[in-house]
Amino acid sequence: MRVVMSVISDKAYSDLEEAVGAENVSRHPAVLDSYAYQPFENHESLPWCTRPVAVVMPAGTEEVQEVVRVCNRHGLRHKALSTGWGVWCGPTAEGVVQVDLRRMNRIIDIDEKNMYAVIEPYVCGAELQAEAMKVGLNTHIIGAGPNCSPLASATSMYGVGHDCIYMSTSPRNVLGMEWVQPTGEVLRFGTLGSGKGWFCGDGPGPSLRGTMRGYNGAMGGMGVFTKVALKLFNWPGPPLVKSTGTVVDLMSEVPENVGIYMCYFRDRRKFADAFYDVGEAEIGYSALKCAMPAFMMVLTPHFFSKMKETRNLSRLLAETMGHMFLLGLVGISKEDLEHQERVLRAIVDEHQGFMLDQAHVPSIRSNFMMNAIRATMPALAFRIGGSFSTALGRNDGLDSQLDWGETIADIKRGYAAQGKCIDDMGENPYFVLYENNLYAHCEVIYPYDPRNEEHVEAGNAMTMDFIIAAIEKCMEPGYGSLAPARKILSPLTSRYNFWQKKFSEAFDPDQASDKGYYTDETDFDFSTIDPERVEALKKLVEERTWTELGPPE
Amino acid sequence: MALEDYRRDIEGCSRCSSCKWVPYNQIKSARFAKNCPSIYRHNFHSYSGSGRMIIGLSLLEGRIELDETVADIIFRCQLCGACDAACKTYRDDIDLTEVLLELRAHCVESGAMLVEHMALVDALKREGNTLGEPKAGRGDWAAGLDVKDVNSDRCQVLFHAGCRFSYDPDARDVSRGHVHLLRSAGVDLGIAGREESCCGGRAYELGFRGEAANYADDVLNRVRSSGASTLVTACADCFAAFRYVYPRMGRELPVEVLHVSQYIERLLAQGSLRLRGEVPLSVTYHDPCHLGRKGEPFTGTWEGDKLERPMRLKRSGRKGVYDAPRNVLAAVPGLELVEMERIREYAWCCGAGGGVLEAYDDFASSTTAERVAEALATGAEALVTACPWCLRVFKDSVEETSSDLAVYDLAELALLSAGVTAPAGV
Repeated sequence: MRVVMSVISDKAYSDLEEAVGAENVSRHPAVLDSYAYQPFENHESLPWCTRPVAVVMPAGTEEVQEVVRVCNRHGLRHKALSTGWGVWCGPTAEGVVQVDLRRMNRIIDIDEKNMYAVIEPYVCGAELQAEAMKVGLNTHIIGAGPNCSPLASATSMYGVGHDCIYMSTSPRNVLGMEWVQPTGEVLRFGTLGSGKGWFCGDGPGPSLRGTMRGYNGAMGGMGVFTKVALKLFNWPGPPLVKSTGTVVDLMSEVPENVGIYMCYFRDRRKFADAFYDVGEAEIGYSALKCAMPAFMMVLTPHFFSKMKETRNLSRLLAETMGHMFLLGLVGISKEDLEHQERVLRAIVDEHQGFMLDQAHVPSIRSNFMMNAIRATMPALAFRIGGSFSTALGRNDGLDSQLDWGETIADIKRGYAAQGKCIDDMGENPYFVLYENNLYAHCEVIYPYDPRNEEHVEAGNAMTMDFIIAAIEKCMEPGYGSLAPARKILSPLTSRYNFWQKKFSEAFDPDQASDKGYYTDETDFDFSTIDPERVEALKKLVEERTWTELGPPE
Repeated sequence: MALEDYRRDIEGCSRCSSCKWVPYNQIKSARFAKNCPSIYRHNFHSYSGSGRMIIGLSLLEGRIELDETVADIIFRCQLCGACDAACKTYRDDIDLTEVLLELRAHCVESGAMLVEHMALVDALKREGNTLGEPKAGRGDWAAGLDVKDVNSDRCQVLFHAGCRFSYDPDARDVSRGHVHLLRSAGVDLGIAGREESCCGGRAYELGFRGEAANYADDVLNRVRSSGASTLVTACADCFAAFRYVYPRMGRELPVEVLHVSQYIERLLAQGSLRLRGEVPLSVTYHDPCHLGRKGEPFTGTWEGDKLERPMRLKRSGRKGVYDAPRNVLAAVPGLELVEMERIREYAWCCGAGGGVLEAYDDFASSTTAERVAEALATGAEALVTACPWCLRVFKDSVEETSSDLAVYDLAELALLSAGVTAPAGV
C-alpha cells in the first residue's frame, strides 16, 4: 500500500537532485505554487489545485526513468506536464512530484520523404509547424492553440483542431512512441519497438495506441511520454507565411493557392447537408462551424458588448448567422484551388446558401487564414470575460452534434439571463469535423469572469445541467475526464471506468502515476445545486444504469 | 498603487503560457520562438510572467513568505516587457508589467532587496548616476563640442545624454556624434552637462519609487527652466522614463519628448539633414525594449474593470517607436536592412535591463548572446541598435566570442552617411 506523503523527505529530494542536477529540482513553496495554480477548467477549487511536493525537470528519457524510479522508491507519485495549460496538468492529490518536461524541447527529426516528425514533449505546435512548412509539410494544431504540445495531445489529452478535416485528430497521427512506464521501464511501440524506426505505430505485433490513451487520454495518469513520431501532411503553401502585426493588426500575404470561405445557410438542415457534401467531395484543409457573434466576441469584445444592448440587431445577427461554416481550402496549385472553389460553390448553390470569399476582405482575411492554419484565434476567447469554460467536448455524428449544440445553447441562455455567465448570444460551439465530415467534435463554450463569484458558483450547476441534458437525450456528455462526473457517468456508459482501471492496474501495479484525471472517482459537489435537479439526476441514473447483463431496457 | 490593487489582473491569468512565446502568428522557427529571457534560462514556471504573477497571488493569500528565494525570482527578470506584449496580444485585462513592477516595490518596502541594487541606488544618491561615476565628470563627454549649456543659455531642443552615454568610454563618442549630427542640421541644441542627472527610470524599475520621483522632479525643473520646447534623448531607458514613467507618476514633462531616432527621421523628412554617402553594409536592427514596447506614451489610467477599458488606454506595446529607426536606416544609401525573426514588440531583449546587468552578470550575458546569435543568423555584417545599454552589452558579447559582427548605434551610421565627423573627445 502506498503511503501518501504531503512533504518530500530530504533523502528523496537529494535523490531527485542526483537524477537531474540540483538546479533542476525545487521544493520551494513559491516555485511549487506556480504549478499549483491551474485555474482553467478548475471548477472545484479555483484557481488552485494540490501543491506538488517537488518539481523536477529532466532533460531526457533516462533522467525521466530515474525520476520515476526515485518517486517509486520513496512512495511518491508523479505527474508529468509539457506546456501545462489546464487543471488536468496539475497534481490531484498530496505526495505528487510534478515532472515538468520543459527541458525536453527538441525536434529530433523531420523526415520529409516519409512525412513525419519526431519530437519531444515541450515542442509546441507553432514551432513544429514553422519547421515543417520549410519543407512543404504541415502538422495538426489542436484547437486550444499553437502554444500547446503536439506530443501531449497525441498521447494524453483529446486532440481535435480546425484542421481535422484534412489532418484528422492527434491520436490518429501517432506513428511511434517512447513511453516511460509508471515502473520506470521504457516501452517503445510500433516499428520503433522492433528497431525499425518511427514510421508505423501499429506493429509488428499488437498496437498499443489505444492502451496508451484510451479515448480522452490518461492526462498524466499512465507514466511519462518522452518522444512521439507524428504524421505530417502536405503543405503546398510558402515556407513562411509573411505577416506583419500580431493579431488585431495582423496583415498576412494570402498565397494564391489558399482560400478562406464563409458559407451561410438558411436553416440547420441545409447547413448540415452542405457540410456532409463537403466531406464527400473531399475538399477542405480547415473547417469550423461558427457563428458570427463568436467572431465579434473575440475580435471586437467592446463592440460586441454594446451590440448586445441593441436587442433587435443582436437577435437578427444571432438568428441569421447561426448556420455558417468557415472553410479553408488549400490547393496544390492555383488551378487546384480554383477547382476546389468551384466544387464548394456548387455545394453551396445546391443547398441555397451563399458564400463569401474572405481573401477579398482585407481586414479579416489575415486572421481567418492564420487561424485556419495555426489556430491563433481561440486564445482571444478570453477577452470578453477573462475566462471561458465548455460543455466538455464530445465526439459524435454531425447531426447529433448539432442537437447537442442547440441543447447546450438553451441551457446557457438561461444562465446568461440570470447574470451567471456572460451572454455570448447563442450556441458558440467549438465544432470541427473529421472522417469525411461524418464525425464531429462539439465543445460549446461559455465565457465567464473567474473573478465574479456568481459566475464561479454557477460553474458546477451548469455542468450538472449539461450532464442531465446529455443523459436525457442519450448523448455522450464528454465529461469523462472529470472524477466527479466519471463516478456518475461510468455506470451509464458501459462501465468504461472499470476497464480503464484494469489497464491502469496492468501497467501501473503500484499506482505510481497520479490517476486523478484518468480513473479516479470522487463525489460531485451538489451543495450549490438546486435539490430538484439533484433528484432529477438521481432518478435518471437509477433508470439508466447498466447491469451486469448489459444496458437497461 | 499596491500589489493588492492588481489582484484582479493576477487572477485573470489562465496560465496559458502565451507570455513565454513570441505571438503565435509571428513564430517563424523553433530556434527563435521564445520571448522571455528569464524562463528561457531558469525554466521553472515561476520565472515566467505568469509564474511571477502567481507568486504575487501566493503572497497576497499568505501561501508563501517573501524570502530570499522569492526576491531572487522576482529580480531575475529584465523587465523587458515581452511577456506583457505577448499576453496583451490575446488579453485586455492583465497589465503584467505593472504587476512585476509592483512586486519589486513590494520587495523594497519589505526590505527584500538585492545588495547590488542597493549599491546602485546608493551610487545614484551620491553621484546622480547609475554607474557610480563622479558627478563632476558628467558633462565631460561634451568637452570641445561648443554646445549651449542650458544652465546659462536657453535653447529650443534640450539634449539629455543619460548616464551610460555620459560616462561609458565606448559610448561617449556616440553621444558626441548625436549632438554633432543634430547641430549640423541647424538644430538649436543645448545640454545640461555637469548638472544633468539620472532620469530615475532604473530606480523605478528596481522598486525604489521615492528615488525615481526625486529624479523626475529634478529633470522636470531643468526642462522647465531651459525654455526648450523639445526634449531629445538618445538613451532608450531615459526615453521610456520621460514618456511613460513620469506621467505615470504624475510628472508629465511640459515639452515634446523624442528619441534621437525620431528627431533624425524628422530632420530627414524636413530636408534639414541629408544622408548622401554610401554605406555598403548589410545590417540588422535590434529594437531596444525601452524604445519599443516600453516606449509607448502614457495615455492614462483606468480605475474600473479592465475588461471594459478603452483600447487607447491599453499598453499593448504596438505603439512604441519601431519605424523611426528603420526609416533612418532606409535613408542611408547602400545600406541593406535584414530583419531578425523577433522584432518590434516581440523583440528579444539585449539582457541589460531591470537591474539584471548589475546583479546577475551571467544571466545578462547569456541573454545578450542569444540576441547576437539571432543577429548572426540573418547573415548581416552589423548589428545596429538605438540604446547605449544595448550597445554596451552587444559590444561586450561580440568581443567575448570574437565574432566578426560589428555593432553600431544608429547615429553612427547616419553620421557616416552624412559625411560629418564629430570633433574628437577629450
